[in-house]
Amino acid sequence: MRRYQALQLINELTADLPLVVTCAATSRELAAVETRDNHFYVLDSMGLVGSIATGLAIAAKGSDVQKVIGLEGDGSLFMNPNVLPTGGFLSPNRLFLILLDNQVYGSTADIPTYADRVDLGAIAEASGWTVGRADDEASFRSEYARLLNTAGPTFLHMRIEPGNATDVPKLLVDPVTITNRFQAWFTHRLGQGTEVNA
Amino acid sequence: MSSLTYAQAAAQGIWNSQVDEIGYIPSVTVAPVIDHLVELDGGNNGRSSHVNPLSREEEAVGVIGALPLAGKFGAVVMQDNGFGNNITALTTFSISYHLPMLIFANTRGSLGEYNSMIHSVSQPAPDLLRRLGLPVIELDRRSSAQDWEDTVSEAGNHAKMTYRPVIVLGSFWNTDGKVA
Ligand SMILES: [Mg+2]
Repeated sequence: MRRYQALQLINELTADLPLVVTCAATSRELAAVETRDNHFYVLDSMGLVGSIATGLAIAAKGSDVQKVIGLEGDGSLFMNPNVLPTGGFLSPNRLFLILLDNQVYGSTADIPTYADRVDLGAIAEASGWTVGRADDEASFRSEYARLLNTAGPTFLHMRIEPGNATDVPKLLVDPVTITNRFQAWFTHRLGQGTEVNA
Repeated sequence: MSSLTYAQAAAQGIWNSQVDEIGYIPSVTVAPVIDHLVELDGGNNGRSSHVNPLSREEEAVGVIGALPLAGKFGAVVMQDNGFGNNITALTTFSISYHLPMLIFANTRGSLGEYNSMIHSVSQPAPDLLRRLGLPVIELDRRSSAQDWEDTVSEAGNHAKMTYRPVIVLGSFWNTDGKVA
């Protein structure tokens, strides 16, 4: 499976959950699958998705939001692997990271990452996350369902093939429009109304 | 007048600015600030319900800086030499997405410094941050602990009002605190 097919599957499964999405091709392709209010596209800030998802999972404590999902790539997670020990240490119940691992920097000419020699799922496991592994639609669906219902930080390591979708337009929006849209959706979802600030 | 130490005043000011969560990256200079933050939150040994250690300043911008997306507000406590680690996150995330956050950082590399290289990042830090469009408010020995408390608290309000991070730099030299 390629990234675009994985994103179609993830989009189908996450209609009611906050989804923080890593930069470049991943955000672009997810927005092409469907642009939804629960999507927070991190247009740059490579490596920060897991940290943002951790903050939002902490903020969602006590709510009925089952999980805050961070959607990362292997190259991006290698840029800030601190996400894994910090998530394991803080251990927010609602933190869920999905790693789409194609073993390359997909937005950077498919240059290989460390992922063919270093297992990010094993690092997550060693850091205290509950880890599931998948490499096709059936295994993704069953591991996703299991991890969605597991308290504490959960990590779904999905192996995909390299390759970007063609003819997907760039995301050329002002980031603050993403903030306003996602914030209105998420604060409403948390039951706090749509107040823009704390 | 406040009977608090400068470090305690900074901590009190952070709580006064109505923060929901605080993340810190420790330094010997801000350790008393962290201790007081934790104590006021009913914790001990560097941890409480709403005060937590983070591994790196960049990560702190992600974790704490994301809170306004959930209608919440947070503060980061750090040392000024860590701004080299987080300016990409501050600019491409906090500033670009208009997300407020309070940062209190102790300064190094000036009066009272023993370290022979830390000034190379700490001394230009205020100019660098301002060049990036981040408001920087500087506190030192010339104002009272009460002023530190009031300024830190109002800096949090200023961040919320202007939808961006606001940075307070505190120089502990010749206060009742220590530089390093
Ligand atoms: Mg990749």
